[in-house]
Amino acid sequence: MVKEQVLAGKIPSSWLSGKGQEGIVGALAQLRGDDYLTFTHRGAYAFIARGSDPGRLLAELFGKADGYCKGKGGRHMADLTHGIYGKSGTIGAHATLAVGMGIAAQIKGSDQVVLSAFGDGTSNRGTTYSSINASVVKKLPIIWLCENNRYAGIAGGAEYFPFESMDKLAAAYDMPGCSIDGNDVIEVYKQMESAILHARQGSGPSLIELNFYRLEPFAIGGPESRSEEELEHWTNRDPLLTFRQLLLEEGVLSQPMLEDIQRKIDEEMKVALEFAEASEYPAPSEAFEDLYAP
Amino acid sequence: MRAIRFSQAMNEALHEEMQRDESVFIQGIGVKYAPPGGHAGGLLEAFGEARVRGVVMDEPVIAGSCVGAALAGMRPIADFSLADFATCALDEIFGKAGKWRYMHGGNSDMTLPIVFIEMIGGYTSGAAEHSQSPTALYLHSPGLKIAVPTTPYDAKGLLKTAIRDNNPVVFFIHKKLMGLEGEVPEEEYLLPFGKAQVLRPGVDVTVVATSYMASLAQSAADNLVKQGIDVEVIDPRTLEPLDIDSILVSVRKTGRLVVVDEDVERCGIGAEIGIQVMESEFKSLKGPVRRVGNPNLPVPYSPILEKTVLPSIESIESVVCELVAESH
Repeated sequence: MVKEQVLAGKIPSSWLSGKGQEGIVGALAQLRGDDYLTFTHRGAYAFIARGSDPGRLLAELFGKADGYCKGKGGRHMADLTHGIYGKSGTIGAHATLAVGMGIAAQIKGSDQVVLSAFGDGTSNRGTTYSSINASVVKKLPIIWLCENNRYAGIAGGAEYFPFESMDKLAAAYDMPGCSIDGNDVIEVYKQMESAILHARQGSGPSLIELNFYRLEPFAIGGPESRSEEELEHWTNRDPLLTFRQLLLEEGVLSQPMLEDIQRKIDEEMKVALEFAEASEYPAPSEAFEDLYAP
Repeated sequence: MRAIRFSQAMNEALHEEMQRDESVFIQGIGVKYAPPGGHAGGLLEAFGEARVRGVVMDEPVIAGSCVGAALAGMRPIADFSLADFATCALDEIFGKAGKWRYMHGGNSDMTLPIVFIEMIGGYTSGAAEHSQSPTALYLHSPGLKIAVPTTPYDAKGLLKTAIRDNNPVVFFIHKKLMGLEGEVPEEEYLLPFGKAQVLRPGVDVTVVATSYMASLAQSAADNLVKQGIDVEVIDPRTLEPLDIDSILVSVRKTGRLVVVDEDVERCGIGAEIGIQVMESEFKSLKGPVRRVGNPNLPVPYSPILEKTVLPSIESIESVVCELVAESH
């Protein structure tokens, strides 16, 4: 959807697609409405899963006034009504924000938790390590969710990723950690359940590594460094396909029910696109607004 | 009126505001262990460990966690100790604290009421990395308010305003001013941002300076009057917002402007105020706008070298005299 709009030139920027990483919705489904989420620069799946309005998301990417950030943020948007506190334009900085949200929950004595997602590339930033360190020292209610999609930009993990799996880092900090198949939505859901319980009880942070794959290049329209074979291997494990298959096999949904859902999605996206296209561009004078709060 | 030290004035502001609003908390390396006379003294005893917090030794986490806590409804204060250390966290301060509200379209939940306390200044043989006064660096990044108090009275009134402001405020305090005594009323008061103060009225030359430079400029003015030069010293007190109008009014009267700044001169406060005055009041100027500042050098360690690089009462006097001589 967004990809087509980028390629058609309707979005004045590129887009970092999250296609292939949707298994994370298993983790998002465990969050409460008042929990906090800090997110990576990739994809819209967190927004969709938390209930954001696709029309306003698309309007933002179009640079329109009805976008979530009135056309000022573009793909680095936030939707605070759904607990999504922005995507950092610099990788890793949002981990430091997650620490602050954990501190706030601790001071308030609430049992809110923070889900802070970061990529395997971002795991290299000092901010990631020092934020995890702070969360352990202060026993903050944070779930560190490493989205290991095996690539940072166009570079493969061998260039930058030192661990066989990220749960080694959890072990070093003596906090609960696991490294799982990120395409196994049910397993993601289960692991997140225990991590959240741990955090809500005041027992501190956990780390979950999701192993999956980014099916699009780093940025839409950007160079592709990966082999056809590798892409094909992972395309066959696309969670949107495999989870559909699972639901059919388990008899949770029937083929007509799935087709009905797909029809509703297509209709919702059509309405969203119409909304975004009809939305006005902001007035030039809007550039001078919003720097300071009253 | 009673006289108290600069650090005590800040301490009163912190106690009063933390008492007034439960969402205010302070974090920093030393805040739990602050000596009784220090600006964070007694806070731990008064407000407990939840709101007077130690931090990990990592400035990006200190700054970024303030942003995160603010997004979650708190009013954080970070004490970085030296401004030199805070430069490790400029992404979090410039990018997140300064720009996130704007980037997210001014969403009403995206308010970032944060105070970053940073100690600036040389004159202590701290060498290049413990002596910086990087105020202009912050002025160059949109979205941050900047307070630079000179007196204990300003320190208390501006800090209370900073804590209540719904935006990030960088609060620069100077090493050489912390022990300075000055009159501070017992009763509560706040000082508005963006309102300069005339520290000394005069008719011949306008000297603009903040913080420790304002105190040097006053001493220079006291000496210069003996040579028949009547200097008006203006202290903007906040650099963002900047009370340029008060400076323009003064320049209209004196026709001469000298800006004193401890920071490196290049692209500094002097350059900024100078160009703003020239754009608005060029016709009133009898001579060029002059600067007294660090000539673009790291601050050296040895006292004799440090004195050569940083502004002094003598260097201010000398530049003012030169300006008067060439603009008669």
